Amino acid sequence: MSSNLQLAHRKRAATKPQAVESVAGATMKAAAGAMIVLGAIAFVVALSRGGAAIAWEAYLVNLLFFLGVAQGAVVASSSFYLTQAKWGGSTPYRLGEAFAPFLWVGFFLFFGLYFGRSLIFPWVTHPIAQKAAWLNTPFLFARDGIALGAMAVASFAFIRVSRGDGARAWTIATDEIELPPHSIRVLAPVVAVLFAAVYSLIAFDLVMSLAPVWRSTLFGWYFFAGCFWSGVTAMALTAVVLRGRLGENNLFTNPTVMHDLGKMVFAFSVFWIYLLFAQYIVIWYGDLPVETFFIVQRVHHMPWSPLSVACVVLIWLIPFTLLMSVRAKKTPVILGTVSALGLAGMWLERYVLVVPSLSLDAIPFGATQFLISIGFLGAFLLSAVPGLNRVAQAATSGEPVGDDAE
Amino acid sequence: MSTIAIISSFADDTRCARAIEQLREAELGDFNTFSPIPSHKIEHAIGRSKSPVRWLVLAGGISGVLTGLAITIGTTYEWGLNAGGKPLVSWPPFIVICFELMVLLGGIFGFLGVLMLSGVPTTETAPGYDGRFGGDRFGIVVRCDEAQAERVESMLKESGAEEIVREDEAQPR
Repeated sequence: MSSNLQLAHRKRAATKPQAVESVAGATMKAAAGAMIVLGAIAFVVALSRGGAAIAWEAYLVNLLFFLGVAQGAVVASSSFYLTQAKWGGSTPYRLGEAFAPFLWVGFFLFFGLYFGRSLIFPWVTHPIAQKAAWLNTPFLFARDGIALGAMAVASFAFIRVSRGDGARAWTIATDEIELPPHSIRVLAPVVAVLFAAVYSLIAFDLVMSLAPVWRSTLFGWYFFAGCFWSGVTAMALTAVVLRGRLGENNLFTNPTVMHDLGKMVFAFSVFWIYLLFAQYIVIWYGDLPVETFFIVQRVHHMPWSPLSVACVVLIWLIPFTLLMSVRAKKTPVILGTVSALGLAGMWLERYVLVVPSLSLDAIPFGATQFLISIGFLGAFLLSAVPGLNRVAQAATSGEPVGDDAE
Repeated sequence: MSTIAIISSFADDTRCARAIEQLREAELGDFNTFSPIPSHKIEHAIGRSKSPVRWLVLAGGISGVLTGLAITIGTTYEWGLNAGGKPLVSWPPFIVICFELMVLLGGIFGFLGVLMLSGVPTTETAPGYDGRFGGDRFGIVVRCDEAQAERVESMLKESGAEEIVREDEAQPR
């Protein structure tokens, strides 16, 4: 797009801001509420009819997935400050912060795991003597609870400043204001670094400890890189959906902004496969049974191997091949489809990480898991309502977009 | 009527790109642009089609992968290298070598392609070139009829040119 066209676009956008009252209104709230009720009913029914193990597995998978999306997106917003991104004005920041209220929902749902601990954590019923100092119920819930709480507090402190006038002025000023406010320059790196630490801990405690003899030092990094990618992908998908709903001159109709979102989805998909392979090859070379069983079970044994392959296809192969060209990144249908498939792939990846450790052979996937997932999705959407309205407001405000929107 | 050269310098690529767009719209003479850095804005403004270097990089990348496969598979068969009882041809470690050779040959092909296609090294300087255009300034040299010089100059000034010098084509700087 020539900068002439871009200028014209900006001028148009500046003269005709469209009033958007609410993109996520009563209908969405009602639907999300109904989804939560459905999920809760399915969960209770499963618990009372002997499907407790299945219900708790689905609970954990969904908790990890949606918490990862919500937190990953906030970290994307903080990383935009760290890289001084002005390619979309204030909108990409609002987009990243939109799902944040789920952090508190996830924080409280985490403690729900306490009631299913004997079904989720093998070391609760069969303690491992050498690891008992780390893998015991009170310590696990205390440290992970504190970690998730700290993460939510830091995220909300960051978002509060990020939504303020000072930070907003910086995001839309092309070059008058050199740096974002001081508090943002402190809070953005705090959120990013804390994210790496907390989500490594979550990966070790809530995923790796399900197969308590297995270990991979890189696993924490791999896990939070996946969270970050799912956050970025959810942002791209949201942008594509809002593009069609916000009227003519919303920011997401600007191809350069879609290009930038597409680049993020592409780049961090490659990063995910890099970390996956980096772990895989070390375990393959070492060939130690204590490390390989985790991979062998998922890659070579039915019914998991097709699911593992599907994860790689959905998270890496499809984004890598389809989003390689500039035109594809700028085509909302392609970017939206790739993002939706990517999110499905990320959910499946969490599933493949968690469930084979607990239920060895069969894929226990049926109505119960589906409805519980729907319930979590409902909670996620409901908590995103105010944030999405903020995104809509920013995207239709017609504010100038930074000069480096290329 | 004689042709003259107008040399203008700009402090940033935004202004330079704006001037290029206006010159192209007005279709006044032909011009050369000098830039100390690669700039997307100027590339967009010039409207040049994509560089063929990327095809050279692709060719280099593919030959890298093929070389990697030939080396890894060839040597393990030739020497029968058995590592820890694993199959002779095991793809996980080969991926690393193929990937690295893809990057290496792709990079080398790209580098040589840039040199070849841009005609570097050369001892001649393009007419109108100024040392500052390799430092911190962007330059546009317009060749046009003397009659149009006024218009070109005002257009350049409007776009934010810092300095505008008029020179006869006969005496390049």
